[in-house]
Amino acid sequence: MLFPTIDFAIFFCLCLPLVWSLNSHNTLKKLVLLGLSLAFYASWNWRFLLLLLASAAISYLVGLHVDAARRRPLRRLVLALGVALDLGILGYFKYLDFFIAQTLTLAHALGLNPSIGFVNVTLPVAISFLTFHAISYIVDVYRGRLAPSRSPVDIVLYISFFPHLVAGPIVRAHEFLPQLASPRRAGDFSFGENALLILGGLFKKMVIANYLAVRFVDPVFTDPSQFSRADLIMAVYAYAFQIYADFSAYTDIAIGVAALLGYRFPQNFNQPYRALGIGDFWRRWHMTLSNWLRDYLYIPLGGNRHGALATARNLMLTMLLGGLWHGANWTFLIWGAMHGAMLVVDHVWRRSAVFARWGSKPLVKALDWTLTFHFVCFAWLFFRAPTLDAAMQFIAGVWSDNGAAATMPGVVAPLIAAGAATQIVPSRYIRRLAMKFDNFGAIAQTAVGAALLYFIVVMAPSASAPFIYFQF
Amino acid sequence: MIDKPKSIASPWRRTAVIYAILALGAFAFPGGIVGWLDERNGTGRLAAPLALARGVETISGAIGLKFIGAALRERFQAFVGDTDS
Repeated sequence: MLFPTIDFAIFFCLCLPLVWSLNSHNTLKKLVLLGLSLAFYASWNWRFLLLLLASAAISYLVGLHVDAARRRPLRRLVLALGVALDLGILGYFKYLDFFIAQTLTLAHALGLNPSIGFVNVTLPVAISFLTFHAISYIVDVYRGRLAPSRSPVDIVLYISFFPHLVAGPIVRAHEFLPQLASPRRAGDFSFGENALLILGGLFKKMVIANYLAVRFVDPVFTDPSQFSRADLIMAVYAYAFQIYADFSAYTDIAIGVAALLGYRFPQNFNQPYRALGIGDFWRRWHMTLSNWLRDYLYIPLGGNRHGALATARNLMLTMLLGGLWHGANWTFLIWGAMHGAMLVVDHVWRRSAVFARWGSKPLVKALDWTLTFHFVCFAWLFFRAPTLDAAMQFIAGVWSDNGAAATMPGVVAPLIAAGAATQIVPSRYIRRLAMKFDNFGAIAQTAVGAALLYFIVVMAPSASAPFIYFQF
Repeated sequence: MIDKPKSIASPWRRTAVIYAILALGAFAFPGGIVGWLDERNGTGRLAAPLALARGVETISGAIGLKFIGAALRERFQAFVGDTDS
């Protein structure tokens, strides 16, 4: 049940009155939300409910035992056990076959023939996001940032809450659990801002991302040898805007839906293609993942506290694991390594005397933006290519033009321009529009909302591409 | 992000607006909901909502709304060269 579907529209229409009618009966409200979230997850495969419940049970029990343990070594041991169990589940479903394949390749290269078989398990929906939420909770309890929850319902609901379940944003336990303790009023959230987030998300997904994927990016990446050099280059830029429109759409809708149900989620994107430097990019792109990696991986590794070499190592490790989180494929590792290396360069550059003297000059800023944007687009090539070989063939196609005529459909340039516009429009304009919407009467709100929905449906293509982050 | 308390903040009013927006969407493009119900009506237990949706489709067609939406979609897809439609 994905967001831009009739299934989800009907589901959400059922949720809204049910949840608000129980706002003064918090325990019942949480139970109903839990039931709805489990039903949402079961709509993909009910068998994976057991996995979700197991992950929640681990978090609940580890949280209680970490808190109860008096001695630090014991607390660490319980935490390590909890993290190992969470990562073990993730590793089994997501990475085991990848590591078996690498082991077999290595063994064959050494002339060995070990009898190891692939496990061939179906990857459960949302397993990566689920694991991140579970780890966030137990680590926050260990660090004393959060008191352990005595309510198993709260923990299962935190991990399974349907707006963030499939593709984020990654909501921290200390952000979400207090919201379960005391329900908000609808008036705590702007209707206009959230309605526009949802409608804007639908536009980005159904129009920008879908057309770019179906009409241009997918065919080019499926068989790059059939396309001209210009097509290949434009496909990389088109993919940059497709993945932004696609993923930011999902999280915008998730944030809007959660807010309309009375729960606040953190912002996940802040016009990332405006970034000046790769560090700035990661403060704007998938912000909840960047913050998660910083707090639960980079800082525990030592962060920037132990000198330049250790900082570089920690940045590389964080981004390599961040890349691997996206999938068990060399392409994601390369993508992570590229970002890690660029972060190291960025770190050194921003602390240099040259930057201190010239960094604020417009020309240097322009150069900073140009390098960052084109580097990010180039790295997306590895993220999008199905295999490392395919990525190299793609680059070879750009290097040695096959002489084919350019075939980029006319719709691609305006769509890229629309994607670029989303990076430029100041957020205060959106807020002003939302405030106007809030002050409209119900009939005017309905008319504006229906008109926007109408034009989105008119413009949506007949074929639709699946959400990119759905697979992670 | 999103924190603007307003005097017009009843969840029921918001729910009514959301329902109305979606209902107007379904009225303008009734084919989607008819197809959706039809696909899931293998056992016949969705016969009543399907009949209702077909009734809405008939009214939408009678006042021309359905055809305006379909024509606009067709024109837009022809404009952008979406030949799969």
